Parts: sequence; structure tokens; C-alpha cells
Amino acid sequence: MQLFLEQTINGVALGSLYALFGVGFGLVFATLGILNAAHGCYASWAAIVGYYAVESVGLPFPVAILAGVIAGGAIAIIVDQIAFQPLRDRGTGLLGALITSIGFWIILDSLAGFATGQQSLAFPAASYPSGMTSIAGLRVPTMQIVVIVALAVCTVGIYLLIQKTRVGAAMRAVGWNPVSASLGGVNSRMVILLTAFLAGATSGLAGVLGGIATSNVSFTLGEGLMLKGFAAVVVGGFDDVRGTAIAGICLGVIEVFVAQYLSTSLRDGITYSLLLIFLVVRPRGLFGSASFQRA
Amino acid sequence: MQTLLDFWAGYGSTVVFAMVNSFFALSAYAVLSTGVLSFATVAFAAVGGFLAAQMVGKFGMPLPAAVALAGLGGGLASALVAAAFLKLESHWMALASLALVLITRVVALNAPALTGGVNGLVVPQRISFLQLLVLLAVVALVFHRLSRSWYGLAARAVREDPAVASTMGVSPYRIQFTAFLISGVVGGIGGAALAFTLQFISPETYFIGLAFTMIASTVLGGSFHWVGSLIGAAVFTALPVTMQAIVPQIEDVAKGVALLLIMIFLPRGLIDPRAWGLRRAARARQVAGGATQAEPHG
Amino acid sequence: MVDRTLEKGAPLLETRGVAKRFGGVAAVDGLDMSVTQGSVHGLIGPNGAGKTTMINLITGLFHPSEGAIRFAGAELSARPPHEIAALGISRTYQNVRLFSGMTALEQVMTGCWLKRGVSLWSSFLGPAARARWRETRAQAMALLERVGMADRADELAETLSYGEQRRIEIARALGSAPRLLLLDEPTAGMNHAEAHAVGRLVHELRDGGLTVLMVEHNMGLVTEFCDSCTVMNFGRLLARGEPRACIADPAVQEAYFGRKNDADRIKSLR
Repeated sequence: MQLFLEQTINGVALGSLYALFGVGFGLVFATLGILNAAHGCYASWAAIVGYYAVESVGLPFPVAILAGVIAGGAIAIIVDQIAFQPLRDRGTGLLGALITSIGFWIILDSLAGFATGQQSLAFPAASYPSGMTSIAGLRVPTMQIVVIVALAVCTVGIYLLIQKTRVGAAMRAVGWNPVSASLGGVNSRMVILLTAFLAGATSGLAGVLGGIATSNVSFTLGEGLMLKGFAAVVVGGFDDVRGTAIAGICLGVIEVFVAQYLSTSLRDGITYSLLLIFLVVRPRGLFGSASFQRA
Repeated sequence: MQTLLDFWAGYGSTVVFAMVNSFFALSAYAVLSTGVLSFATVAFAAVGGFLAAQMVGKFGMPLPAAVALAGLGGGLASALVAAAFLKLESHWMALASLALVLITRVVALNAPALTGGVNGLVVPQRISFLQLLVLLAVVALVFHRLSRSWYGLAARAVREDPAVASTMGVSPYRIQFTAFLISGVVGGIGGAALAFTLQFISPETYFIGLAFTMIASTVLGGSFHWVGSLIGAAVFTALPVTMQAIVPQIEDVAKGVALLLIMIFLPRGLIDPRAWGLRRAARARQVAGGATQAEPHG
Repeated sequence: MVDRTLEKGAPLLETRGVAKRFGGVAAVDGLDMSVTQGSVHGLIGPNGAGKTTMINLITGLFHPSEGAIRFAGAELSARPPHEIAALGISRTYQNVRLFSGMTALEQVMTGCWLKRGVSLWSSFLGPAARARWRETRAQAMALLERVGMADRADELAETLSYGEQRRIEIARALGSAPRLLLLDEPTAGMNHAEAHAVGRLVHELRDGGLTVLMVEHNMGLVTEFCDSCTVMNFGRLLARGEPRACIADPAVQEAYFGRKNDADRIKSLR
């Protein structure tokens, strides 16, 4: 029972990372209509920036996280303005932006390789809360609690932003129809920049926390998150952050239990099979509202 | 003659890989030319590659027969994929095919009896340059004939406006299904060609990297004419090599920058028949304009 | 399946209570319409009356929420567009929809798809396919000749003028040798002479045995070239019959020009 509960929390924490990463990916797809293959790079780079903030500059842990998050958001804006902005109003559709984002993926990944000296770095144990916390008799790594709280805060925050504020209404309008939104007085440029920043920042947060939790700061960090975060978004449904959060957590829990009770080699297979099943059978995901099947 | 030999010594393997990549680019072109963005070629290539490698390694099948079988295997796989994916809207189809690439690797890793698992497979035969050349020539000829056929005409119509095409009696589903079959056969052949060139394949051989090289080649060369795929594969294979000769280390960065620049400044690719037509029309207008200006004098 | 032996004057296309709703809005709301074999039938009405929706319903781009559409004895309402096209219905579009990147000749040849007479496989294998290709190419040229565009056959259609593109679209629609041709505002953007040329072409086609249903805004052309017409407003039938009588109908006058006292009120507001 003890093991079961600990593993559940373990899975929720892992899933929270996937969800945190996926929220921004889904937001960009729903609002800007872009499948961003470079989304994983934001996480890698945020982790790298966070690492050097701690290791070289000696900043305290919360400030290092903030530095990583801002770096993720800033890179996302740069990528958007260079790779996606020139293609808007040109009708190259999904394909054009997908190709340019692949271009940036290659660039950012190989630069990240240089930044880490082609190896995997780890945050020094003294630089973050590496101990255990006792909750109701369970001993849980403090970092897992930080990750779960981070997801909860971001999901609720972004959900409220989209549903309850004027900016959120503008974001929904742009996602629905950019042309009529701009005719209706929505500042679509503002919406684009904000969406890109939010996506980069949440991806960056997932990157820093994931880099700490898995002791892996390198370009492979973003790739790993990308595959799982993508699955969380598809299973949860693209147009609702709550769906992504729940689906991400479920995937994390499933992965941990499959690895614990079945076999480690099946872990990824189950995630990707779920992904494919949802894409083919229920493309709008568990919680999505729109229909994505052909009439 | 000596310079030719020198060139071959230096760039022979680049030429061979460019030819192998041409199969994948053509496979992606086959579906893209009917308006479907699909990464599923990688899965077809894996089917073809492992099938051909096992047939040659375990059963001593001759290489050409193994390549043909790989094409058949890829075609069968594509029929299944098309049946499952073609009911999806285009964004979702692109995503589903990307997921298929991820799953392909997991399946390959977990079926060591068929694929060698993590250890991969050593392929005991090598495809000769001449065999590769003939194979590519045959595939290219088929694409050439298709582009000047009823199928080619219908494919262009479906890509540009599926609704209008359907009111003219063309069934978009049928055309896109056919496109998937072509893509599967060519992808399977390409997978076998890659196996017989590398002589070692593993689940990592048929993964995301291949998917991106393939799509990048097709888009770079131009996805509105099959020749674009050949040109794109050549450029995209040669570019990193030449970059490496000039500035090592940053070959990948250069690859990414090239992709960005091409998409932003040349979104329809290097080979674009429509641009030629537009240019011809502009020239004709200029001539006509010049003629009317000249009239009052004459 | 399809009755190929209809007498001139028998109904070729009949709709019964056809309705199409988008969300809560009914674009077409229970329309009965009948187009007789060998006639030119006008479908008219103010903007937003549901005329183009009606064309889309007949060609299968939309499926009706209610009602029946019968063409030469076959029910159309559940069929996909390519099957409806195969039954012998062809159309043009309100905003010209030619294929980008194709020459004028290629557009018309694509229109001949239904008459290609070869399967997908033999289309690139057999020598018969090449002969068939050349033959159809000649037919497409003849169609371009018919709409007066033969000299522009090898030019990219998108480089041509709007009126020229409309004529190519008509040639493309004729490529499948349809029994019923649907023209959605074929003369929009044309001058008087060009519009009359289209009208004469429509009469020639009718005299050759084709049935034509055209959406048209130019009342002069409707009275001059249509044998009968249906007037729609807000998705419903307003009037039908002989064009002059329809247009003189007070209900039609009101739909087009508004109530007289409305006009007076606008004047007083100024």
C-alpha cells in the first residue's frame, strides 16, 4: 500500500511535467494554428539557462527557475517572429510553419549540444530542495510536490486567463477566426506574442523542473518531453488546458505503473498506442469540443 | 577521368545517400501531391527495410527480390494506414502519422525476433551503385508517367480544391488512397535501399530524423513536381557534407538555417512549374504592352 | 438507376421540401422546385436568399437537413458529390474556383475526368490510355473553342481576366458532358456584350439538349434567356413560372425593392 501510494504520487509528478509541457503546445495549436516542432527546445534551453544561473552565477533556486522560464518565453517569441510571422497571411498553411519550426528545432538542439558540451548535466544537489517531505506518513521527494503545485497553478492560471479575461476572449477569437477577430478590433499581434510567450514560459518551467527531477540537462530533455507532452495534448483534447492537465497526469500514472508492474520496455509503447488510438478513434480527445473528423 | 575518380572518392557516398533519400522524398511527394502531409513513409520504410534485411540474411533471398518484396510490404502497410487515417482532417492526419513514427520505433525495439531489437541487424549484402541507379530510374519513370496521366491531373485537382474536384466526379478519397499506396511501395523500396546501403539497421534508423530529412527534401525541392523531390534530396544530402568541409561542427545549424530561409523566401520550393507559367505570362504582357505602345508610331 | 429517356418537358430535377440549417439558421427552408428537361431555368432572389446553398445541396457539397432532391428518377440527397457528378450534373461557382497552377486546357481536361474511359492503373501503362488522352485533349480544345478561349489554352488560368476565367469554368463544367448544368452567377463581373455571349451560349447548349439551371442577378438576362424561373427569399419559395410574370409579381417586387413606405421613411430620415 505504501509503495502503491508512493508510486501514484511519483506518476502524478511525472505526468504533471508532461501536462505542464503540453499546455503550451496545445495553446499554440488552438490559438495560432501552428504545430510547433520546436516546442521541446524551449524546455531544453530553459533548463540550460537555469543550470548556468545556479552553477556559474550562483543565483538562488527560485530566481534560477524564473530565469529559465523567462528564457523559454523569450526564445519562443524569437522563434515565432522569425519562423512564423513571415508566413502569416501567405496561406502556406500548417505545412509551412511546421517546416520552419523543424528548422528551428534542428538549430536550437544543436546549439544546446554546444552549450552543454554534448553531455548531460545535473543540477548540484545543494542548489534545490532535494530532500523528502512527509505527508500523512508518506515520504515524498520535495521536488515532486513542487512540480505538482507548479502544474496546478499554471493550469488554473491559464484557464482563468482564457475564460475570464478580455485578453483570453481575444485569444479565443483569434483561434476561432483570425480575420474576423482583427475586424472586431482584437489586437492579434498582441495575442500572438502573449500566446507564444506563455507557451515558451510553461515549456521552460517544465524544462527546468524536469531537468532537476531527472538530473538530465541536455537537448534530449526537450525531445523526451515533446513526445509525451504531445501525447497528453492529443489525449486530453487540444482546445482545453484542463483536458491536457488531466490527460498528462493519467499518462504519467499509467507509465509508472506499467513500468512497476508489467515491464519497462512496454512503458513508451502504451503511451504512443494511446496517442494513436485517440488520434484515429477520437481525434478531439477526452475533453475536446470541436470535431476534427471529415464530414 | 582522374578528376571524376577523385570526385567519386570524395563524394561517392554523398551521391549514394542522395539517391537513397530520393526514394523517401518521392514517397512523401506521392501523398503531398494530393494534399496530404504524412510522415508515415518512415513506417513503410521500416517495414520494407527489416523485411528485406531478414529475407536476405535469414533466407538467402537474392537482393532484387528482397527489394521487390519490401515494396510489396510497404504497400500493404500503407493500405492499412490509409484506411485508418484518411477519415481524419488534414492537421490530425499529420499528427497521427507523426505518432505512427514514434510507435514504429517502439514496436521495432520490442520485436527483437523480427528487427534485432536494440542491437539492430547486420545486413549481409550491399546494393551496387548500378542497381541503385536502375531502381531509382524505374521509380522516377513511374512518377513521370503518373504526372502526365489522368491520375496526375486528378491528384492536382484534389490538392488544390478537393470540393471542386469532387463535383467533377473525382473522388478525393480514392485518389488519396491511391497516393498512399504509391507512397507505401516507394517508401518500402527506399527502406530496403537504405538497409542495403548502410548494411546495419536498427529501430533508430527509421525514426524522426528520417522523417524530417524526407519532408525537408520534398519541400525544399518543390512539392509541385516530382523532380523537386530528387533535387531536394540531393541538396539536402549534400548541404551538410559541404558545410562540414567549410565549417565543421555547425553542419546541423546550417541545415536548420537552410530550411528556414527556403520556407520563408521560396515557399513553393526550387522546382515550381506554376512560377514558370506566371513568369511567362508576365513576359507576354510586357511584350503585348510594348506592342500597343509601338502601334501609334507604326 | 438513372432514367436516360426523359422526354423534353418532363421534370429532370425536382426538389420537395428541401431545408438546410446551419446551427439554428435556415439557409433553405422547405423549397419545392422543378426544372424541366431541355429548358433554361433561372433561380433568382435577393442576396442571402439561399440560392448558392441550393446549388451546393443539389451537387452534394452540402447534405439537406430535410427533404428530397430527385434527378431523373434518382435520389441525390445522401450521395457524395462525385457520384452526383457521375449521374450527369455539373456546375460552376459564384466565385470562380479554378485550380491554381493549371493551364486553361488542363482545367478543361480535368473536367473530362468522368469521360476518361481508363482505370487508374491503365492510365499510365497502356498505349490505349495515350490515345484516349490525345482524344480528350482534342475534345477539351473544342470546348475551349466553343467558349472562345482556344487561343489561351496553354496559359495559366490564374493569369487570365475574370471574365475569361468564368468562360473556362463553363468549358470545364461541360467537359463531363452533363445532362444538367448549374451556373452560379455566370455573368458576374462581365460587361453587357460578354454577358450576352454567355446567354447565347446557354441557348445553344439548350438547343443541343442540355438542361440549364442558372442563378442570375441581371433581370434583363433572366427575362431574355430563361424559359422559366423560381424566385427565392429567405430560403423559401416566393414565386415561380414565366420570368416576366415572376418579376412583375408584387411579392417579388417587394422582396427586391422593399416596401414603398420603407423607402419613403428612408427619404424622410435624410
